Amino acid sequence: FRFKESLAEDLQSADLVISHAGAGSCLETLEKGKPLIVVINEKLMDNHQLELAKQLHRDGCVLYCNCSTLVETLQSMNLSALKPFPPGQPEKFALFLDKVFGLQ
Amino acid sequence: QFSLDRIPRSREVRQSWISSVVTTLYSILYSLPLTYKRKPDLILCNGPGTCVPVCLSAFLLGLLRIKRTIIVYVESICRVETLSLSGKILYYFSDYFIVQWPDLKKKYPKSVYLGRIV
Repeated sequence: FRFKESLAEDLQSADLVISHAGAGSCLETLEKGKPLIVVINEKLMDNHQLELAKQLHRDGCVLYCNCSTLVETLQSMNLSALKPFPPGQPEKFALFLDKVFGLQ
Repeated sequence: QFSLDRIPRSREVRQSWISSVVTTLYSILYSLPLTYKRKPDLILCNGPGTCVPVCLSAFLLGLLRIKRTIIVYVESICRVETLSLSGKILYYFSDYFIVQWPDLKKKYPKSVYLGRIV
């Protein structure tokens, strides 16, 4: 399919996700606790996609490769070595704003 | 209760830098009277160049002692090691500049690091 309103259902039923390095795709997948392989397309590369993918890889939360090394990555991957992705904490931001306005 | 105002984009994706200066200036001219009319207490923004004219307008109104607006800028989660262009500009014009990764806090000490928001 080209476009769906939400990938939540597909993500829920997946055992492995192979995705581009878009922030939404990566974060949504990791939040559902699914193993993720991020494929970087060097030709289309957007700077900020790469920074996030590299960081997630450094944190051990995703596997990462480019189009030409995808097959090799799939063959040699060890998904159990992937670490869980800690959730974000929007409440800290909310608290911060409350303090700024003296609403605490 | 809320109202919606629209402002022109500062820059389209992949728009050339030279024409971006023109479109951004146009956005600033548009945003100034709007910001003056609304006189916001708080501007909360997260990154696209489109927020820069509004923030600069508010900053200007503050300098002219017309209205003191608190500007809170949250840099995108995608920005781990470097700031976006909007970030680089607004680092100097915002009251609170929030980053979501520790490396940026080190590089930009005036920023606020609260961990990841998303």
